[in-house]
Amino acid sequence: MSRADSTVATTGAPDAAGAPGVTGIADTTDVADATWVSPLPDVLAAESARTWDSAVHAPAVPDELRPPQSASVGERLSALHRRHLLRERRAQEFVADTMNARTGLPIADNARVVRFIGGLLSQERLLVVSVVLANALAATAGLLVPRLLGELVDSTVADVEAGRVDAALAGANSAALVVAGLVVVQSAFTFAAKMSSTVLGQSVLATAREYIVHAILRLPLSRVESASSGDLVTRVTRDVGTMSESVRWALPEAIIASITVVLTLVAMVSNSPLLSLPSIVLMSLALFQVRRYLGRAPKGYLTEGGTYSRINTTLTETVEGARTVEALGLTHHRLRRGDEDIEVSGQAERYTMTLRNLLFAVMDIAFSLPRVLVLLLGAIGYAQGWATLGQITTAILYTEALWGPFDMLVHTVDRVQVGIASTTRLLGIATVPPDREAGADRPTGPELVGTDLRYAYRAGHDVLHGIDLDLSTGERLAIVGPSGSGKSTLGRLLSGIHGPRTGSVTVGGVELTSLPLDQLRTEVALVTQEHHVFIGSVRDNVVLAREGSTDDEVREALRAVDALDWVERLPEGLDTKLGSGHQALTPGRAQQIALARLILADPHTIVLDEATSLIDPRTARHLEGSMNALLTGRTVVAIAHRLHTAHDADRIAVVIDGRVAELGSHDELVEQEGEYAALWRAWTS
Amino acid sequence: MRDFPPPIRAYTDRGAETPDTRSPRAFLWWMVRQNGGLFWAGLLVALIWMVPQTVGPWIVGRAIDTGIVAGDPAATMQWVLVLAAVTVFGACSGILFHTVIVREWLIALYGTTKLVTRKALQLGHVLTRRTPTGEVLSVSGSDGDQFGALMEVSTRAISQLAAYLVVAAIVLSTSVRMGVLVLVSAPLLVVLGTPLLRPMQRWQGVERSRNSELTSMATDIVGGLRILRGIGGEATFGGNYAGQSQRVRQSGVSAGRWLAAVESVGVLLSGGFVVALMWLGTREVAQGRLTVGQLVSFLGYGLFLVQPMRTFVEFAQKWTRSVVSARKAVAVLSQRPPWVHPDEPADLDTSAEIVDGESGATIRPGILTMVVSAVPDDSAALADRLGRYLPSDEGALVSDEIPEELKGRAAKRERSARAEAREAQAHRDEERARQPWGVTVGGVDLSRVELDEVRRRVLVSDTSPQVFAGTLRSAVDPLGRLTREQAERALHTAAADDVFDALPGGWQGELEERGRGLSGGQRQRLVLMRALAADPDVLVLVEPTSAVDAHTEARIASRLGEHRAGRTTVVMTASPLLLHHADEVILLEGGVATAQGRHADLLAESPAYRSVVVRGGDADPSVLSHLAEESR
Repeated sequence: MSRADSTVATTGAPDAAGAPGVTGIADTTDVADATWVSPLPDVLAAESARTWDSAVHAPAVPDELRPPQSASVGERLSALHRRHLLRERRAQEFVADTMNARTGLPIADNARVVRFIGGLLSQERLLVVSVVLANALAATAGLLVPRLLGELVDSTVADVEAGRVDAALAGANSAALVVAGLVVVQSAFTFAAKMSSTVLGQSVLATAREYIVHAILRLPLSRVESASSGDLVTRVTRDVGTMSESVRWALPEAIIASITVVLTLVAMVSNSPLLSLPSIVLMSLALFQVRRYLGRAPKGYLTEGGTYSRINTTLTETVEGARTVEALGLTHHRLRRGDEDIEVSGQAERYTMTLRNLLFAVMDIAFSLPRVLVLLLGAIGYAQGWATLGQITTAILYTEALWGPFDMLVHTVDRVQVGIASTTRLLGIATVPPDREAGADRPTGPELVGTDLRYAYRAGHDVLHGIDLDLSTGERLAIVGPSGSGKSTLGRLLSGIHGPRTGSVTVGGVELTSLPLDQLRTEVALVTQEHHVFIGSVRDNVVLAREGSTDDEVREALRAVDALDWVERLPEGLDTKLGSGHQALTPGRAQQIALARLILADPHTIVLDEATSLIDPRTARHLEGSMNALLTGRTVVAIAHRLHTAHDADRIAVVIDGRVAELGSHDELVEQEGEYAALWRAWTS
Repeated sequence: MRDFPPPIRAYTDRGAETPDTRSPRAFLWWMVRQNGGLFWAGLLVALIWMVPQTVGPWIVGRAIDTGIVAGDPAATMQWVLVLAAVTVFGACSGILFHTVIVREWLIALYGTTKLVTRKALQLGHVLTRRTPTGEVLSVSGSDGDQFGALMEVSTRAISQLAAYLVVAAIVLSTSVRMGVLVLVSAPLLVVLGTPLLRPMQRWQGVERSRNSELTSMATDIVGGLRILRGIGGEATFGGNYAGQSQRVRQSGVSAGRWLAAVESVGVLLSGGFVVALMWLGTREVAQGRLTVGQLVSFLGYGLFLVQPMRTFVEFAQKWTRSVVSARKAVAVLSQRPPWVHPDEPADLDTSAEIVDGESGATIRPGILTMVVSAVPDDSAALADRLGRYLPSDEGALVSDEIPEELKGRAAKRERSARAEAREAQAHRDEERARQPWGVTVGGVDLSRVELDEVRRRVLVSDTSPQVFAGTLRSAVDPLGRLTREQAERALHTAAADDVFDALPGGWQGELEERGRGLSGGQRQRLVLMRALAADPDVLVLVEPTSAVDAHTEARIASRLGEHRAGRTTVVMTASPLLLHHADEVILLEGGVATAQGRHADLLAESPAYRSVVVRGGDADPSVLSHLAEESR
């Protein structure tokens, strides 16, 4: 191991990528001890034997993506071409993989993004018009200057040739005045143009991000409960960031640049159609390459963005898990993983870099060569009498002036592309279909009844096999059973998070999943570990379930969980801002806040998933009273890991392999001498 | 020539070069030096790239004077060809320039990420108790990007400065008056343009910090989404987000207003420059002191020179921002591990007794010891001491972010207060690490043993262990040195069959980041399996089964002792199911060992022990029991 480690430490060494894993396998697995019998059940043992070293550890970056060490220029170029194609394929695969809803939330298509942005722009028509108008006027004022300079050159030449020095001087004076006036006008319109485009960009952006967060807040309950939040975190951080850059800056600049490009072309033609030909012809030719680039770039940038998220995820794990890394001696392992991520990211960067280089190769020629051609054509034209010196001057200045805006246009379209790519991921959030439709029926009572409940996370793999459960009002039911027996799934069904595959869970005769969420929340609540404290005031943190509750109601809920005293002692009482970066709370207080939320929600039934329950042993003593306040007078389903919880319940359901194996009071079950009785004895002996 | 990703060996390889973190500026200079010859190559290419723009107008002027006006087609052709050559030369260098700049940018960005990774690995648990994770991550991401941007803009700024000087020289050699105009105007324009930059940058700063708060709010919403969708609050927090989003918009518009002012003043000033150039030039032509061709080339220069002036202003802005980023990077990278290498490292004899001075607990070698405490924090602290981890004191985090409302001197004061707090904390840690540790193994204090040796021999699995993304096999066997038999044994002892079963693909099944997608109990057993598989001489487990159901816990309890037979194992727990199988149990009261013996004996003899273990005590609050009592 030490040899492999030291290679890894030098980072990025191509042979290090897969070395430790591979040597480990080679050293060990072949030494099968004939007398050894796996302690695992047969099925698992077989699966274990099959999968232990089945995977060939593919290096993060295949060797084909590394340039040859020594080769002729021709070989190098063809190797570069091969690498570029391979990177293109990797980008396509990455995008195809991300676009696949299996790996996370869906991604919208480009058409939807265009419609979305178009819709936002059409709401701001007045602003769009003023952006276009102000820019057009600013650009026009700017473009008149070269024209006047050209005319000035002609008139000065004529005056000098005719020996009219005074006239030439006067001409210089008046032209300077006119141009100065134009400059002032251009400056004023530039201010108006920049200002209106900022206002436009900022307001479109604000609307867009608020729409996205709104979409997140509408994600179906079952999706939220079962999906990993990693993908979503990436989307609201990196993708919103990229979209911002694009909408705030690139989009307005792209509009400005295209206006300027068009007007410059118009100005060129009006100066001299002949002298505008080089620019127009070469620019048209360049457009082919621009189209080619725009066809490929989005996938490249999507891939690039993905690799950066990955770098970030790995580093987050490393930093947060610093103690684990230290304890298990994983330093080199984490180092290698981080470096591999960077290698992969580097490959994605190389792909887009080559794409841009191919574009620039054409663009640079297309926009710098016209100057030479104008000079040539101008010389011929001057000799033939088609063109004046002034026209040549103006034409040369225009070809120079075209470069900047066009470069800006491509540069911003490039960013807009990235923005669109990110926006497809953001709008994808809004395309998740709802998991339920609210019906019109309302419960007639608080009885919770589950019949013939089956559920599968993977098709064909039921984890519950037809469970029937009736809860009487005010009852305390404990559910015990080994892990993987389906207890938590049952809890989710009973609280209306998932709809069962077959059977039904009803409250007061109405299917839970056909209740509107607002209603469902006041019927049943699932209480899990997440005593998340949100960024917001204490009030915001408590009113969750009944938004619009009065301050008195909030205080009452806090009082019920013994939290009012300390809340009132906070610097700004109910208005004190909590959450990361603000007033910190001890875990115990955070839990009290979480309990106060539920008091205010006031559901008649509570499903308590103790596996990850609110009750952290460290703060438990202070919370007993708070917890009592919450549970008194409600029906409680406790998914119990501690036998005491079960002991004190009215009824205990022992769930084994997705079926209710035993059901009854503690005493009844102990008498039955079954599974529960055995456990109880182990506990108390 | 350097290429990305850069090889970085700092912090993890002893003796490797480390960044200069004496000051933000020193750090930035170190970053530049990281590029080695690449930086100079980039400059060279940028200079070549500038050539057509610098000498182009001059060639055009010559073509007009000696060719077009003089009516000499051969001279015209000659100058056209020269211009063509220069143009194509410059265009080709554009690709090279882009390539070099991307390299420099990514070397800075990836290099920063690598430095942060290595720093985090070097400091281990010390870093996370000092600095908020978010700040460490933002150094790797946004600050690293800022360094990349600085590389790009400085290359451009230097090359354009050179171009500007060349142009000034060309103009000066033709017309002294106009040359002076060119030379004077650039600094003048930069000086006149800069006063507007300050309010603009201030608003941009406000926009950035409001925006980062907005991002935190979005992350916060995602983090608590289960609650928001399960219990409610969408309108409240959606509304809060929208409110902050509007505040970001307002500050963005204010920043934009100043930016618009900067741009329009830029147009005004550079336009004024062109007017002056044109007026002066035309008068010179009229008075016969200048040719037409020279006038045309000067007009060309007038338009070109706007570009360097803008670049200088841009450089000034990015430089300021980079210094801020560098300060954040230095705050993370300058932290030192508190540990000192012992002068004469002693061996760790794990076959001897372990004695903890603070609690007085004695752990006998080779057996399964369990520690029961009415206050779980006490036993967790004991575990930290046994493994030589600094205590996790609350409120030790020192953030580098200061509130938006603090400006100028107040901000400076706050910043230096935080720097001092960080310094004081580092000092405290170093003090603690230098003194005798208080835990002896066979009479040898842990501070006399190399820390690496302690980590290798003693494994403490704490209450919030990280599960890393990757295959199940890599989670259990990250170093790739287990046999399948060993892995299966660990899997069996930890009763993690269902974890194995839950992942399609068995050992090759992929775990999500931080083990998301597994239940709390599954994660806990995965961690237990990993700790068992690591097979250390001394294994300390802190509440290893707190999230596991009684059925499974009973199974684990019955297998643990046999699995660890002959090796020292310490388990912090209050669960009778586990205690039942202990060779020896230690009771902590007020952090001090007050009783020691077998579970059954202690149960019979010690009322204190009974109160903690049997009725669950604090460690096992039975939610329903109190209700049950009340209702009876």
